[in-house]
Amino acid sequence: MRTFKIISLLVLAALILSACGGGATPVPPTQPAAPPTTAPQATAAPKPTTPPPTAAPTAKPAPAKLKVWIEMSDNPKLFQDEFAKYGKVNNAEIEVVCPAPMDKILAALSGSDAPDVIAMSGSTLAQSLAYQGLTLDLKELATMGGIDLNDIYASSLVVCQQGSKLACLPWGTDTNALFWNKDMFEAAGLDPNKPPKTLDELNQYAEKLNKKDAKGNYTQMGFIPAFPWSQQGTINYLFGGSNYADGGHTLTVNSQGNIDSYKWAQSFYKKYGAKKVIDFQSGFGDYASSENGFFAGKVAMAVDGEWVTGPNFIPKFAPELNYGVVPIPVAANRLDKYGSATVGGTIVIVPASTKNKQATAKLLAWMESPETVAEIMYQFANLPSSKKAAQDPRFKTIKNFQVFIDIMANPNSSGLLNSPINQELNDAITKAEEEIWATDVDPAKLMNDIQKEFEPKLKDAWAKVK
Amino acid sequence: MSASPAVRIERAYNPFTWSKRTRRNFRVGMLFLSPWLIGFVVFALYPMVASLIYSFNDFSFHQALKWVGLKNYIDLFQDKYFWIALANTGYIVVIGVPLILVFSFSCAVLLNIKVPGQSVYRMMYYIPAIVPTVASTLLWIWVLNPQYGLLNTALGFVGIDGPNWFRDPNWSKPALLLLALWGTGNTMIIYLSGLQDVPAHLLEAAELDGAGWWQRMRHVTIPMVSPITVYNSIIGMIVMFQYFTQAYIFSRVSSANYAGQSPVGQPLNSTLFYSIYLYQNGFQFLKMGYASAMAWILFLVILACTVVMLRVSERYTYYSG
Amino acid sequence: MENSTLSSTLAPGITVGRQGRRRHQVKKTMQDLLKHCLIIGVGLFFALPLLWMVATSFKADRDVFHTPLRLLPYVNTMVTVNGQQLPLYDVKIGDQVRQLALVKLEESIGDFVDPHDPTQTFPQVRMKFAEPVMQVGFRWQNYVDALNYNPRSGSGATIFTYLRNSLIICFFAIIGTVASCAVVAYGFARINFPGRDLLFIFVMGTIMLPFQAIMIPQYVFFNDFLHWGNTLLPLIVPTFFANAYDIFLLRQFYRTIPEELCDAARIDGASEFDIFARVVIPLSRPALAVVAITTFLFHWNDFQAPLIYLTSPQNFTMALGLADFQGQRQILWNMLMAASTVFTVPIIVGFFFAQKEFIQGIKLTGIKE
Repeated sequence: MRTFKIISLLVLAALILSACGGGATPVPPTQPAAPPTTAPQATAAPKPTTPPPTAAPTAKPAPAKLKVWIEMSDNPKLFQDEFAKYGKVNNAEIEVVCPAPMDKILAALSGSDAPDVIAMSGSTLAQSLAYQGLTLDLKELATMGGIDLNDIYASSLVVCQQGSKLACLPWGTDTNALFWNKDMFEAAGLDPNKPPKTLDELNQYAEKLNKKDAKGNYTQMGFIPAFPWSQQGTINYLFGGSNYADGGHTLTVNSQGNIDSYKWAQSFYKKYGAKKVIDFQSGFGDYASSENGFFAGKVAMAVDGEWVTGPNFIPKFAPELNYGVVPIPVAANRLDKYGSATVGGTIVIVPASTKNKQATAKLLAWMESPETVAEIMYQFANLPSSKKAAQDPRFKTIKNFQVFIDIMANPNSSGLLNSPINQELNDAITKAEEEIWATDVDPAKLMNDIQKEFEPKLKDAWAKVK
Repeated sequence: MSASPAVRIERAYNPFTWSKRTRRNFRVGMLFLSPWLIGFVVFALYPMVASLIYSFNDFSFHQALKWVGLKNYIDLFQDKYFWIALANTGYIVVIGVPLILVFSFSCAVLLNIKVPGQSVYRMMYYIPAIVPTVASTLLWIWVLNPQYGLLNTALGFVGIDGPNWFRDPNWSKPALLLLALWGTGNTMIIYLSGLQDVPAHLLEAAELDGAGWWQRMRHVTIPMVSPITVYNSIIGMIVMFQYFTQAYIFSRVSSANYAGQSPVGQPLNSTLFYSIYLYQNGFQFLKMGYASAMAWILFLVILACTVVMLRVSERYTYYSG
Repeated sequence: MENSTLSSTLAPGITVGRQGRRRHQVKKTMQDLLKHCLIIGVGLFFALPLLWMVATSFKADRDVFHTPLRLLPYVNTMVTVNGQQLPLYDVKIGDQVRQLALVKLEESIGDFVDPHDPTQTFPQVRMKFAEPVMQVGFRWQNYVDALNYNPRSGSGATIFTYLRNSLIICFFAIIGTVASCAVVAYGFARINFPGRDLLFIFVMGTIMLPFQAIMIPQYVFFNDFLHWGNTLLPLIVPTFFANAYDIFLLRQFYRTIPEELCDAARIDGASEFDIFARVVIPLSRPALAVVAITTFLFHWNDFQAPLIYLTSPQNFTMALGLADFQGQRQILWNMLMAASTVFTVPIIVGFFFAQKEFIQGIKLTGIKE
């Protein structure tokens, strides 16, 4: 009997608890989401007791309450401190949530409580959300907040463009270049200060740098196309290939440039034995560790991003590494493209449900201001997408960083185009790439298959976008 | 019972024909079930109905619903990845669940043997189950490293050239199964409790009858723990059909596309399980309607399998009650 | 038993008698040995990765993925030169290899100094000629760093905050789950009412829909309708309403309790609740303990739900705290393992003391035993 009493008391308590929560009867989901800017929700209201600004001229207006979510988790403290500084100066209360994994962001976007600014590590999702109308056009917001769009490198803006609108703004963007290990070059009889400029040179040098052990397994390699991960996006670009044309309306996955690029990458795996190369690469330690294939001297050349030169990578894990950085080599008939690459990285979006557009625009302007960009991006060694910020002398103190800034500034550099089905297309391409490297399959065949599969999907998708 | 089954069922569901006893039983039963009933209506019903409705719509995030009827379901049956995901998940269920049961039962038997240090062994076998999932998956990723990991090094000692557990599509699922076996502590404990309940006098009688170790196992122990086996196999099946977390972390590391969008299913779609493809459709491609349709198809599959297993198990389990 | 039956079931050739007994002894020892080997062998399968986890928690960043595989943690051998602690290297100068201390390292060029004679300096040595001298050492600092890892200053949330939150959730979840599931399972196990089996299928149905599909509507329900966003309520309250896994487990368990015991009580005029509370519950202690433990572990490790419902660090749980060690492109392995070890040790200790409690079953083989 006692147990029963305890149990029933607990059940009762739980029922009361849930009733107190305002347990509204569940509403069937067929109602469309509440329109974004009208009814102010109870949860984000400013302090209720502060009188409106006009009534009492001496009272401070209620601070704007804004929520900033940052997906990347590398240094939450830095973001909190920076935004707290902004908040103090500008009479705002900024709540920073960092890290905010993708799942969390998507859940919040489905509710009525979405943040005002979200910083994400890539633009793919941002574009998808924009196609659905879930984010604001940042061109408008930039004008409202006074952001000088001309100060932003054109190449870094491409990934954010959606027709005439801006789905996002770059905030510390990325690009890639060729890293090479000078000591390994010297040991193989190559001039350590003359890295390859063309792909033919790259092929030649790579062959000289390969070393095998008695059992025939690699102990050292000159170059692995998919190390540390696939760079096909940028390499395709340098071959003149692209997945889209006409601003994303036409699918060109099977363009000749793409196919040539895949064939070149595949030739590495074919020549040196796909299984052996893949096994060799699998034996590397974690990317961010001293056992990174390049840091540990297992791969002599690698295409990687600018953050590697920064405090969290080579200086931390391999300070004794004798290396240099130059732009990615190009095909002999594409020398005009040398010095360029694709640019794209961290971006910020503003969900359409944001309640205080003015305050958000002001915050955004501050985030994109050269001073802020320089300050924050310097800490991570990310590319400052603002031209003025790139002049900040601090960036010159990071060894090998200037190469990346030059690549970003190169007029031939650009970003990858996108479309409403970009995520699915990228997924299919990723799977195809895996097959291309691991097997003898003809890249043209796979790309033609993808082209055939996605062309109708692309058309349907564009038809749905208003 | 003299009435035919059909009549019995009819009588059962027609409240007006209930006897006083049945009425009382129903009342009492409902009372006992009330916590679950309330919880179901308040917490479970809305999300389930919502996802069912989404499945009939072209729905992304936070948008108005656009009715498309059965289009999502029809598209699914024509989607090659749907079938790949189903096959991979089938593998995990059909091979994984019996494997886990046999392994954890065997371990429980081992743990039941009185040896010095029994408590230490029990702890050792159980601890992996309480290591946080993310940590244990990452741990195993290092253990499985093809060149320098513990596993291939150990295999090397006995002269076996270990496979590339990440990049070889034939070995990626076995790798995940190894990880699953490592963490079967909970199932083991449940079996261990059951083994302790096997009546000693039955085992003694069997031994006196001359039954060997295996015969005792087969005719006494295993039947006595059959309710637990039923539980473990049904729950195991339901859980494995929705296998997600470890495979998701695993494929991120196995792929050559670390940065940017999280890749799934590597290598070569061998780890594209049903829940993972569902997740991809919903949270990467933003096709929640399509993903919801996938969810409900899985629901039906699991439901069918569970009902079948429950029926079959009724015939084979032995309840000493 | 007849002698003939007995001898026919023994292995042929074994005779009763002293010789037979000796052979029987040998056989038994072999069996014992086999059992021991099996137990230890399987034990290694479980223990080695754990050992690696603990070993990694003591390693320095650069040591975690050392190839070839090294179990023991190594640290740089340090020497004191002019009051400073400097790392020792084997440096190739000309044809000799000397042990020198590294003073400064910049852009792959190092400045060294002889530790025995600090006036002898070796500036501008290319690092490719230098190898650090390592020795076995445990970096306890990792644990300090992991416990103090508080990447969000100003929020006042430390790992102990996360611990507190996790414990609160687990505590209430255990109470709620055990109480509600015990009651509901009894209804399914021992009360015969129409529609019972159908309803049981319904119960099982609630775990057949993948979490990903109901995650968003559930979030909208808790966040927008109930306004329970950023509280621990969505994680605790539903546990008071039973869940299919534990209902099923307890139902199976209750069905092993002999009907006669319950019938005896019924004859004595006890109500169903009395039978439940006075007969069944005391007998089901091991099963309830199992439920408590699995509930604890589930909520202790649960990542997905806290992730989407909790936004302020003050409300974070341990699982979210561990996620802090995973950056965008890097994982702080040694700190992650240190934190995970800290995370698991209390459970191990608790288990060690509690195992006698719940592993020992209570024999239910009849009314009179």
